[in-house]
This record gives sequence, structure tokens and C-alpha cells, in this order.
Amino acid sequence: MGIGGPVGSGKTALIEALIPIFHERGIEVAVVTNDLVTKEDARRLQAGGLIDPLRVVAVEAGACPHTVIREDPTLNIAAADDLEARFPDLDLILIESGGDNLASTFSLDLVDWWMFVIDVGQGDDIPRKRGPGIMLCDLLVINKLDIAPHVFVDAASILSEARDVRAGKPVIGCRCKGAQTVGLTDIADAIARDLLFRQVVA
Amino acid sequence: MEIYTSILGTADAPEHHDALHHLAHKHAVDVVRLSRADLARRRLRIRTDAGREVAIALPRDQKLFEGALLALKEDSALVVRVETERWIRLAPRDAAAALRLGYFCGNLHWRVRFEENDLCVAVETEEHVYLERLEGLLEEGAVTLLSDNGEAG
Repeated sequence: MGIGGPVGSGKTALIEALIPIFHERGIEVAVVTNDLVTKEDARRLQAGGLIDPLRVVAVEAGACPHTVIREDPTLNIAAADDLEARFPDLDLILIESGGDNLASTFSLDLVDWWMFVIDVGQGDDIPRKRGPGIMLCDLLVINKLDIAPHVFVDAASILSEARDVRAGKPVIGCRCKGAQTVGLTDIADAIARDLLFRQVVA
Repeated sequence: MEIYTSILGTADAPEHHDALHHLAHKHAVDVVRLSRADLARRRLRIRTDAGREVAIALPRDQKLFEGALLALKEDSALVVRVETERWIRLAPRDAAAALRLGYFCGNLHWRVRFEENDLCVAVETEEHVYLERLEGLLEEGAVTLLSDNGEAG
């Protein structure tokens, strides 16, 4: 499963928030992170205590992050194959793209399903820009709903506009940090239902 | 929910003709309809024409295609059909406009094909999304939007 989106939209934070939910549901996960020239995101996950550090692998793109998830995903396929060989019980491998622009998409040779994460702090016009990432992903996540009033964004309006431009494809609003999280169960349900083909209790 | 994990062959193959013909008479050939873009998927959950929710989970070395046979039993079959694809046909005014148009479409990662001197762009979202992006080229006359029969639209 791919997780893409702009720099700072909260992709790694969302993974950190989802891992305990996957754990509760008995979904075995591993993570491949993509960074430009560092292993920053992988180290953050490895140090977080949420997941066995051996289940986190870093790919250094060395170029525009979309090149290794779309044009030539060989490095990521190899990383995922390696994780699958080392942990045969895995149900799900999360492949986090390096932060990129709204045109970033995943090759379906690499992932079976992908979500795109944007956040309200980037401005309320992001959905209207209709980048391929926003239009083509299987699930659009709009993160950091809690900061909307502080950045002069109407959270209900940005969600409604995103649903309009995506013509019925799923959009979930999210707050993945803090005492009161929002949307995480819905995101985990979407992954369980649409990707893992599990029954989800309504 | 039934999960289909392999492609048995093509529905057009002679060896399946009699069985499928027989099932079709009994209205027992169900269809999964996919867009051209969704053919690249190996794992998806979808409703068939008969209203059944099914899942497809193919190994990485298999790809869906028009006519892919997902199930063939004594009393039923399941076949993949691809929805007709829509294309926008664009005629560049001259070589310079053709270069600009080609660069522009490539930059946006649009899927294209060439037909004589025209460039055709596959409509994978909504047509107006493409036309809005092309507005500048169309307005200055560098590119003309043609209808399916090649006439200016």
C-alpha cells in the first residue's frame, strides 16, 4: 500500500497512528520509507517503539521522490520483496513516499492501493488544484483538521470541496496526533475492507 | 465474498467457447466492468453486473485484460470487460505547436497516442479537467480540439 503526499502533510505521523490500530486488529505490517538523501523517516519509526525496527526499511530516492514510486519503482519493489522474505506472515507493507508535489502518483506495479495525504495548513485551495495525486488516489486523507481555525481554513468546506472534485471517490478528514484523534478508524476500515478484503463491522 | 486469484484464460479462446455459450443462454455469465486505467490493478474489490461483490487478487506476474476469464464453473462464469475509453483529439497548428503540446502532455503525465498528425489524450478523470489545462493552447489557436470524426469541435 502506498502513502504519498506533500512534505510535512503528516504521512509518517499517520503511519505512527495507524500501526497500533493494525496491531489491535491482528494485521501484521512492515514499512518502507522513502527519503531524498537520508533515512530520517525510517529512523523515526524505528526509534518510536511502535514496530520492530527490523520491519522498517529505508529507500533513498536520491532524486525526485516520485521517480522511485512511479517511473522506476525497482528499489521499492526490492525492499518490499526483502521484507516479505524476512517476515512471511506480513499482511501489509506500507510504502511511504518522500514528500512530493500534487502530481505524485504510485505505479500499480508497486502498490495495490494508495492513499494521498494533504493537510489543511497547505491552504484550502489544495483540492481545487486537482493534481493527479488528489484525483487518482484510492483514498484522499485531509490531515491536521485540528489546526484549521488557526490557518483560516473551514474544515467542513475543504472536505466537501475535495469530495466534489473526486466525484464520489473516498475522502477522510483526519487528526492523527493529540489526545482526541479523528478519522483513524475510518482510514483503517478502508484499508481493511478495500485492500485486505476483510469484513468491517459497521 | 468470493476472491478470484488467477486468470484462467481468455473468454474468446476456442476451448471455452462452448461452455461460455451454453452458460450465456442461461444468463449465467457474470461480468466485471473495468475502466482502462483499472486494468493495471491486481487487487481490487468490485461489484459485478449481477450485483455480487467480488474481490480480485492476482499475483504480480498476471495482468487483467479485456476478456480475462476469472471463473468457469458448470453453472457460472465471470469475465472481465473493459469500458470504452474516451479520448480527446488535438490537432497542433504546426511543428512548433506540436512540440509544445507534446511537452505539455508529457509534463502532466497524460496517456497519449498518435493518430497521423493529431495527438489523442486518454480521458482518465473528467474531460473538463483536461480542457481547462489546455485552455491557453486552444485559445491562442496553437491547438485545435477535434471531434471523433476529425472535425473541429
